[in-house]
Amino acid sequence: MSQSTLRQAGPATSRPRRRGTRDATSGWVALLWLGPALLLIGGVVVFPAVALVKASLSEYSITGLRKGPAGLDNYRHVIEHPALGTVLRTTAIWVVAVVILTMLISLALAQFLSKQFVGRRFVRWAIIVPWAASLIITARLFTLLLDYYHGIANTLLVALPFVDQPVDFLGDDRFTLASIVAVGVFVSVPFVTYVLLAGLNAIPDDVYEAARIDGAGPWQVYRRITLPLLAPALSVSTVLSIIYVFNSFPVVYTLNDRNPGFSHDTTITWMYKLAFKSAEKDVGMSAAAGVFNVLLILAAVAVYLRVTRGATQENQA
Amino acid sequence: MARLTRTSVLVCTAALAVGLTACGGGTGASSNDADGKSGDAKTIKLVAAEYSSGTKAFWDKFATAYKAKTGNTLDVQVVSWTDIDQQSSTMIQNGNPPDILNLNAYASYAKDDLLYSADDVLSPAVKDDLIPAFVKSGTYNGKLYGMPDLSSARALFYNKKLFQQAGISAPPTTWADFEADAKKVSALGGGNVGYAMPLGPEESQAEFSIWLVNNGGDWKTDGKWSINSAKNVETLNFLKKLAVTDKVTQNNPGKTNRTDGAFALFGSGKAGMVVGFSPLSAELDKSKAVDYAVAPMPSADGSAPQTYGVTDYLMAFKKKGNQDAVKAFYDLYYQPDQVNTFIKAEGFLPVTKTGLTTFQSEKALAVYLQTLPNVHLTPTDDPGWDKVKLAVQQNLGSAVAPDGNPQKVLDALQQQAESGS
Repeated sequence: MSQSTLRQAGPATSRPRRRGTRDATSGWVALLWLGPALLLIGGVVVFPAVALVKASLSEYSITGLRKGPAGLDNYRHVIEHPALGTVLRTTAIWVVAVVILTMLISLALAQFLSKQFVGRRFVRWAIIVPWAASLIITARLFTLLLDYYHGIANTLLVALPFVDQPVDFLGDDRFTLASIVAVGVFVSVPFVTYVLLAGLNAIPDDVYEAARIDGAGPWQVYRRITLPLLAPALSVSTVLSIIYVFNSFPVVYTLNDRNPGFSHDTTITWMYKLAFKSAEKDVGMSAAAGVFNVLLILAAVAVYLRVTRGATQENQA
Repeated sequence: MARLTRTSVLVCTAALAVGLTACGGGTGASSNDADGKSGDAKTIKLVAAEYSSGTKAFWDKFATAYKAKTGNTLDVQVVSWTDIDQQSSTMIQNGNPPDILNLNAYASYAKDDLLYSADDVLSPAVKDDLIPAFVKSGTYNGKLYGMPDLSSARALFYNKKLFQQAGISAPPTTWADFEADAKKVSALGGGNVGYAMPLGPEESQAEFSIWLVNNGGDWKTDGKWSINSAKNVETLNFLKKLAVTDKVTQNNPGKTNRTDGAFALFGSGKAGMVVGFSPLSAELDKSKAVDYAVAPMPSADGSAPQTYGVTDYLMAFKKKGNQDAVKAFYDLYYQPDQVNTFIKAEGFLPVTKTGLTTFQSEKALAVYLQTLPNVHLTPTDDPGWDKVKLAVQQNLGSAVAPDGNPQKVLDALQQQAESGS
């Protein structure tokens, strides 16, 4: 109750003030107010982007010394790299699998956490912990848990009557990517759950009450009321997850660090290896891969938004 | 709920403010060299690799001694091995290299004309004291650029308890013995493996090196790459046989790293043998979990065992006005009480002739010291090796997989090496 009055009070009081200041301000004053934000954007977004593009157009020695302009050579080398296909396929599987699984699990968890029950606060805290821990530490912990010889996971598995051999979760090509995806889901679920929980809490109770009076069953209520009203929260958290998972470095890199070659690298870890770990050891080529990566994320998000917008319009029609 | 959020926002803001002040206080103490005469650098920067948790303490103490002796300040930055390539590359990319860099490679830097040679910054007495094998590996184009900071040599570690249980009386001296012993240990069952073989990307070039030198092979022969020589293919085929046919290694040796894989397994008492070096002894002596002994590496045909070794380098970057300060750095570092103290604390081996004499009394090091003057090193004097090494790390492991093809893997590496140099 108090929350909703607060929310209404915000815009109501600020509107007249905004109208008043517009008359009095000149462009300079506006710039003064925007200044810090613009500086921040310039320093954190524009400058690195320009540096990245500049690096991608330069030729570098293995030591990191810039030797001169390279034209588009770096981009050509990235496109012609024999591992590119594998890396793109791994990236696609990684992003799609982690985002979809995260969404499904988070939806169920958020639904569960929105109910009143004893100890709810503790469960909520328990779920946020993986998010608060450093990704590298979490990933490192999983390499220990999943270890072939010393890992707890295998100790438990072998204790089962029908398993006689440990599973090489991180070394066996059949399981490596699946293991990495599972850890990726584990670290992505808390944030998405909380966004969806906020979305669920924002759905007013009277809508549900009305539905129940009209005789809707639980599944009907969920499909016709909860999901449509949750759509904004769903799409925001999906877009954020796509970007976040795409750019996730520590989980993939740490869990994959024992495997030679590029068979389980996403574009981000591949980029890092191109710059510092692989035989290329070429900052310029890595920068070119970085530019491609930004374009790839933009394309993925654009496609997602296009698809979901189409879907919601269909729903409304 | 509302109050909770407000408190957490407060906490976050406070943390942020603390963080910002902490950041603000960190810098600013770097350039107070106002009274420098004739533009000579009064502060030089050292970026050093972290060998152990004691590394920082040594360099800090060294900086104090350096200040007392020369009046110059030594700015010390210790970086972990996983990050140092990235950090040094970034520094050079930004046109801001350190004055001294401690790394496992130098030739590419010398090729890019970034370094002082020994002629510029090393006193003749210091240069004469260096062990010739390391001078050779530190020499690029006829000049010494890579000043060795410490060295290590590999040897065969074996688990005495497992050997006894398997009825093996002495460590193997030929590969045939080695194979038979590994089979006996594996046959003990209970998760025991004969040999822990790390051919994962961390350091597969080192593991392969010690095997290939004991079969009379090498990475380069008479100045030419010989990665896919018949001897080397034979060596890699033998390693694949151990892993795939005999199954006497740990699971997936091509995807096992040294530190957290092979060493960890040996340290848990489940591996009969592993190729180790003196820091592993130090670690095992501390944990006391394994009853082990160290023996020379077996050779293919029983001829004299060969040792593979590694040395790291302290290289100096040419910067205006830092030459005298850099020279003073080397003069002090190669004082026996500095260099040998450092090496001893880190558990490595000496790089100077005086160091060899000093360490002679260390019984645990005897097995390495005898072989050190004739140690086989990787061709670090060739800038091409810096890339070949990375290619080896990313590719060698696939050769010992069930469907691996040693000949093909080595052919590809040979081709890459030839096209790169």
